[in-house]
Parts: sequence; structure tokens; C-alpha cells
Amino acid sequence: MKRADRYRLPALLLLWATGIAADEPSVTYLEDDGHERVPLNTVAPVYPSVARRDRIEGDVQVCFKVDREGRPFRIAVRTSTNRVFEKPAIRAIRASRYQPLPDGQPVPAIKTCRTFRFRLVSTAGD
Amino acid sequence: MTIARLLPLLVLLASLANAQAPADRSAAVPKTVVGPNNADLADGAAALKAGDAEDGVRLTQRGLKSATSRRDRVAGYSNLCAGLAMLERFDEALQACNRALELDDGHWRSYSNRALVYLKQERYPEAERDISTGERLSPNSRTLKTLRTMYRDAVDPVSPSIIIDDRRETEADEAGR
Repeated sequence: MKRADRYRLPALLLLWATGIAADEPSVTYLEDDGHERVPLNTVAPVYPSVARRDRIEGDVQVCFKVDREGRPFRIAVRTSTNRVFEKPAIRAIRASRYQPLPDGQPVPAIKTCRTFRFRLVSTAGD
Repeated sequence: MTIARLLPLLVLLASLANAQAPADRSAAVPKTVVGPNNADLADGAAALKAGDAEDGVRLTQRGLKSATSRRDRVAGYSNLCAGLAMLERFDEALQACNRALELDDGHWRSYSNRALVYLKQERYPEAERDISTGERLSPNSRTLKTLRTMYRDAVDPVSPSIIIDDRRETEADEAGR
């Protein structure tokens, strides 16, 4: 080991530290009537720790199709204000489920879209 | 130990000083280094890294007595600052950080360590000043980014919130504005 290295701690510890700094987000769900598919299990994305650390907020709209059994597929980001939020949004959609369609009812050809708004709310007054 | 209590410790550990100043490294003629000049400083740093603050402080103090080069003294005082902060002896830690910065006012790890001490003492303006100085000296330091987060969380705490918006586009767009 070189002399210089003997005084230095690997940066891995810090990566771990920053990764665990984020806390559980509060989740608000907004919907209206008349959607072709009814949500059964809606999974919220994780707030990326880097975005939490750097105080970044943003929106991601993800569009996808839902198969007969209620599983999302052909998931794609339609609009995004920051790429850091895209993977968590896609993962959340992939883990979400809709109510299956009854036998005989055709699967709608139209895509479903969902917008995730990542926000940081001040808690200074709490 | 909770994560909140662990985080400052990890910041301190990651800020343990390198005895070789960066400027010296770039200018140095390549040579083989057999071992550290000051074994006590190296052992002190190793003890601090292992989380043994008592031993780390003791060995670093002993190493400082025989440290001759400026860079070793700067590293020693910076590490001493980190060790004393781990022991929550904040006033002594500040003195050690100040000593390191008197010897080298461009040593970002000492600013980082001192900033954490200030944060622990709730001296936020001083902490912010040291974090900013450190960021200017080492813009990509993860330690300083973590400290910046700790500072922000102390003076302006936030909580993450996610809105899942399944409304049709017109309404959803209006809500986003």
C-alpha cells in the first residue's frame, strides 16, 4: 500500500451514507372517473437519494398498455423534467397492477398514462 | 446506532486527511515509497478508520509530536480534529481543525471536518462558510455533498412527497402548473 493510501478511507462508506439518507415519502393519489382500466395495486416510486440530497424536484409522465390480467407492458417515458426520476417511475409502473378484465371484454387499445410528481416539502414549521 | 447518528461519523471518517498534499503529488518526481514517514500518524488514521476514536486520537497526538513536515502536521491535526469530534470533544476538535488550517488554508478535509463540528454545535453560518470553502477547493467531494445535505436538512428540513396523478392530461397539466 502506498503511503498516501494509508491515510484515506474508501469513498464507499460515503456512498452508502448518502444512499440511506433518504426518508420515506408521503404519497398522494389523484384520479378522475372513466378510465378504461381500474387500478388494483398502485406502487409509488422511491425518491432517488441523489435527488433528495441535491434538492431536485421533477415530474415524469409514463405511458403504457395494460394486458388482460392487469399487468402494465410497453412502458415508456413520455415526458420528464429530469432523468434521475425516470427509472424509479418505470419501476413503480412495472410493479403496479390493474384489475383484470372479465372474459369476453376486449382489451382497450388506448394507452394509459400516469404522472409522478416528485416534491420536497418543507417541514421547518413542524 | 441510528442512521442519523452514524452519518456524521461516516463523514468524519471519510475526511481523514491524506498526509500527501495534492499539489505536492502532482509536482513530485516519481519515486518508490517504502512506508509512511510517521508510523504513529498512519496507525492513528487506521484506528480512526476502524472507529476506535480513543486510540486514534492518542496515536495521532503522539505522531504529531514527531511530525516534521508541514503536510504531515496538517494531516495529523485534521485527523485529530476528526477523532476529537468522534469523541464529541467539539471545542478541542475545533482547535485542531483551526491549527490544520493555519498551516494550510487550502486543506479541504480540514474545512470539511470543521464544518461538521460546527453543525454539531448548531453554528450554522460558520458551517455553511466552511462547506462553501471546501466545495471551492474540492468541487466533486462526496463528503462535502453529504455535509451540504446535512446543513440543508438542519436549517431547512424537507420531506419527500410523491403525487401519483392519474387524471387526464388537461387537469393534470393544470395541477402541475
